[in-house]
Amino acid sequence: MLRIKNLKCFYGRIMAIKGVSLSVRQGELITLIGANGSGKSTLLEAICGLLPGWKGEILFEDSSLEGADPPAIVKKGISLVPEGRLVFPPLSVLDNLKLGAYTRYRRKQHAEIEKDLDRVAELFPILRERSDQPAGTLSGGEQQMLAIGRALMSRPRLLVLDEPSMGLAPLMVEKILDTLVLLKKQQGLTILLVEQNAQAALKIADRGYVMETGKIVLQGAAADLLSDVEVKRAYLGKDYEEFYDGKN
Amino acid sequence: MTGKTDILNVNPQELRQMQLERLQSTLNRAYRNVPFHRNRQNEIARQTGRDPSIIENLGDIARLPFMKRSHLGEHYPYGLFAVPLRDIVRIHTAPGTTLHPTVTGYTRQDLGIWREMLARALTAGGLTSQDILQISLDPGLANWGRDYKDGAESLDIAVIPNTPLSPEKQMMLIRDYKISVLVTTPSEAAQLADRMFTADLNPTSLNLTHLILVGEPAEHELRNRLEQQLHVTTWMHYGLSEVPGPAIAFECPAHEGLHIHEDHFLPEIIDPISGEVLPSGESGELVLTTLMTRAFPLIRFRTGDRARFRKGRCACGSSLVRMDWLEGRTDDILNVNGVKVHRNQVLHAVKRILGFVPDFQHSVISRYGEKNWLEIRICMDDRLFSDEIKGIEQQIHTLTDQLRENLGVPLAVRLREKPLRTS
Repeated sequence: MLRIKNLKCFYGRIMAIKGVSLSVRQGELITLIGANGSGKSTLLEAICGLLPGWKGEILFEDSSLEGADPPAIVKKGISLVPEGRLVFPPLSVLDNLKLGAYTRYRRKQHAEIEKDLDRVAELFPILRERSDQPAGTLSGGEQQMLAIGRALMSRPRLLVLDEPSMGLAPLMVEKILDTLVLLKKQQGLTILLVEQNAQAALKIADRGYVMETGKIVLQGAAADLLSDVEVKRAYLGKDYEEFYDGKN
Repeated sequence: MTGKTDILNVNPQELRQMQLERLQSTLNRAYRNVPFHRNRQNEIARQTGRDPSIIENLGDIARLPFMKRSHLGEHYPYGLFAVPLRDIVRIHTAPGTTLHPTVTGYTRQDLGIWREMLARALTAGGLTSQDILQISLDPGLANWGRDYKDGAESLDIAVIPNTPLSPEKQMMLIRDYKISVLVTTPSEAAQLADRMFTADLNPTSLNLTHLILVGEPAEHELRNRLEQQLHVTTWMHYGLSEVPGPAIAFECPAHEGLHIHEDHFLPEIIDPISGEVLPSGESGELVLTTLMTRAFPLIRFRTGDRARFRKGRCACGSSLVRMDWLEGRTDDILNVNGVKVHRNQVLHAVKRILGFVPDFQHSVISRYGEKNWLEIRICMDDRLFSDEIKGIEQQIHTLTDQLRENLGVPLAVRLREKPLRTS
């Protein structure tokens, strides 16, 4: 569904992504993990058209995303849940959700949009309760639900999430990630999840990629990565001494 | 969904993308962890000006230099390991091309990969938990014995692990233990067939149905003879005895060439002299790059084996590339019943044991009775000479014993007359 080859991204003269190849197949939940500053978010920005000037190849359903602006990419079926949620604080929850469907209003899909609003409300009942409240008054977890709901309003075929667990309580993280599994299983949604919480992400993913300083250094079935000593050491916060005692 | 790909049915486009992703991350890991690989990649980047991504499609691999067997000895013991020793769970030793043996390591993941590849190859041969599999390999191929054991056990096949047995005992096992699958070398299988014939053992009274032939390519005539004499199906598996293991390529029921596990290896066929990559269908030397191996990545490793890719999709439906494994080698390695011995290695060993290199020395494979032997011919000279025949015999005896221990193959040392100088 999504096929990236030799992607290179630049911030000025600095190359932040140094030739990355990655693919997401229909119906998969893929996670991209890595330390801070390894280039994970940059990669998502390139996919979503927020970082022009990349080099390489990004194909979505066999059509190139080169030169496409964010609205065009949303129309193709990719929707981003940005890092830090970025809801519109003064607008009501309902208006935030409706904004997610802005590319569809022009296409006169009002009735469909209403149905989708109901669907999001089913997924996150709390959003219905708070639908008239300004988004800025929601808790962090609720804002994250709103951000996901807003992304779903464009009816994506590929949902891209940037650190949805950031700053949330463990219980809330679990809830958010469970929702992703549900979306994948019930609606067949394809998901690309960028996470620093590697353990939680690998537990729900099918496959994973590990990124380090702009390069992919490891990939494989999520279950294999979860039990990988190198991944454990670097990203799962396993007790340092446990590994440094003994051999070597 | 488990995240595993059904590799036998993957479409070619997806396979290429998967190989590219895996090749790039293999190179990234090798760059980060192994100075040998880092220096070589830096050199390429400098020459081509394509830093940091020197590989943008699978064809770009031709830019990278080859890895040779001699490199493995030069970085003895752990110089080519790409993970810290604490991540290694198994260490294998194989004779190298020099005095130093080849040491390879495996992480837990690596062992899992081998198990998976073996299981895939055995499943392709129709093996099930009903089977009883015996491994009968030379001590020099003991590493493979372990991999076959692990792979077969993961399919719940009953395994009789590799143990040296006398021919009589071997036949008794096949008959009494109702062995249905035998993993062995073609030469050993041929001897077994002969022995059964002389012992008047009727193959139809046995449970033996599959012969898995490893270590050396089996000729057509030999396979036909084995299949007819023993009433079995033969399956060829291709592997590397020093690194990293057996069944890198395997036969499917179509028996039309050996499928290579392309999710774990990127194969090339090159001209052994020029090093150029040859178009599909031409025969040359097989070169392998590992794609998932963690502990001991091989990047464009020259196997010395001769092979040729087959074109088109296999009748079994799999799109995994197939190769014909051809007779002969492109290097100075002698294949003694599946165990590889480098001529240099013989030279080094003789030098170390005798303390000097005899004037004229060379090694050939000879057939003594039922088995292939390595015959090492050395030249009689003053340094070997003793005024007593017993003294010379004693020296040759010691040399033979030590060489056998060193090389791990059956061998004999023959003294030759010094060739006349014709100057």
